[in-house]
Amino acid sequence: MSEVIVITSGKGGVGKTTTTANLGVGLAQRGKNVVLIDTDTGLRNLDLLLGLENRIMYDLVDVTEGRVPYKKALVRHKKYENLFLLPTSQIKDKSAVNPAQLMVLCDELRKEYDYVLIDCPAGIEQGFKTAIAAADRAIVVTMPEVSAVRDADKIIGELGRAEKENINLIVNRIRPQMVESGDMMDMSDIDDILSIKCIGQIPDDEMVVTSANRGEPLVGNPKSQAGMAYDNIVRRLLGEEVPFMTFARDGFFARLKKALGI
Amino acid sequence: MARELIKIKGGAGGFQLMIDSSAELSDVQAELEKKLSEHPEFFPKGTEFQLVVADLSKSVRSGLQEFLTDKGLSVTAGARQPVRRQAQQGKGAGRGMQSTVQAAQSFQSEGGSRLAGEQQVMTVINRTVRNGEEITSQGSVMICGNVNPGAKIVAAGSIDVRGNCRGIVHAGAMGDYQAFVVADRLMPMQIRIANLIARSPDNPEKSDYAEKAYIKDGQIIIEPIER
Repeated sequence: MSEVIVITSGKGGVGKTTTTANLGVGLAQRGKNVVLIDTDTGLRNLDLLLGLENRIMYDLVDVTEGRVPYKKALVRHKKYENLFLLPTSQIKDKSAVNPAQLMVLCDELRKEYDYVLIDCPAGIEQGFKTAIAAADRAIVVTMPEVSAVRDADKIIGELGRAEKENINLIVNRIRPQMVESGDMMDMSDIDDILSIKCIGQIPDDEMVVTSANRGEPLVGNPKSQAGMAYDNIVRRLLGEEVPFMTFARDGFFARLKKALGI
Repeated sequence: MARELIKIKGGAGGFQLMIDSSAELSDVQAELEKKLSEHPEFFPKGTEFQLVVADLSKSVRSGLQEFLTDKGLSVTAGARQPVRRQAQQGKGAGRGMQSTVQAAQSFQSEGGSRLAGEQQVMTVINRTVRNGEEITSQGSVMICGNVNPGAKIVAAGSIDVRGNCRGIVHAGAMGDYQAFVVADRLMPMQIRIANLIARSPDNPEKSDYAEKAYIKDGQIIIEPIER
């Protein structure tokens, strides 16, 4: 049984694309056939995070306008041969694809793939409406910040109006130290407002930036807390019960090193 | 124009339209146009008006009927038959349960402006009202869920939130000073009752008991309640 999942947030810069890339790679690592669709037409980034920019031949707009069959536009991942990217156009804008076209495409993809992950653009305009149209499940990504939580709330309302009932939450870029000292919203504050099921808590991690620059998602990387957190989300998506990890604080020497700037 | 030519009275569901019988049709129309455009959210298509003044000339009456029908509103003469009313829903209220119920006695204001035994509309929202959503009602509103920051509830009657209230709540929006707001946790951005506004303190405290806001001596006051 295949599932179409949209990754959305409302606010920009909270980690939608990073999350899409990591969940896609994580699902592929566990043997699933996965397609990632970038719907951020005009501002595409998903190909960069996957390191596939130089392999793009056709794009989403070519497919929805019927110029090529979707198989021709899919870019196979260099490492995981059961992971594909459907990039979008960098030249056109959001009006180039409409919800009906994406629904038709996703129905095609459902026949062949286990998971279709849709990377949604920021905002609540047409791009958002197109991206969510075909989804069976929505994952809302937010950060422990008032503006991000406020926008996530709005997006959950919008998803409700679009009759999307299966909504999960991922809280990204948590800084355990700041939460501990009371300078950052903690999970109970966020849950109090959003009140939807949380499937992931990801700590802020510098390795996310380096991995993005290299085009290699860090999901499952045991050296990275964020990588492990993403792996946990993948397992939860596959139906496993995984407890939320407690974020280890840096040890005394690590903190001393940081303080001294070494 | 010193005198008000028309008066719209709402609150108890539906509207009563009172018109100065000596007024000219064109003046009445202009005045009505102005009033309707001030609060378009209160007068969605299909809203019924009861004409209260009986001794209007036929031409004025039919002219008015035409004017309102053009706007998608309807006029009924007098209070001969009970007017069927519908719960009005906000733009974002497509989901969740909404129903019209006979309001409990406690929701009737003691002001006395309402007719005895009159039906009052209560809108019931059975979910969380989120950022960017607006619920308006010609009667009272009960929300079984939270009112999140950025959400807005506007009611001609009173507002009852069975959950956390963090948005903007406006009770008695048509001018009812007896309207009130009750919430399990009352920590809204603003509380408005009739034409009074109170905003939250800049460093809001977390509330942990049910509270009620109402007007006393021309001020909005908040006090804890048992429930």
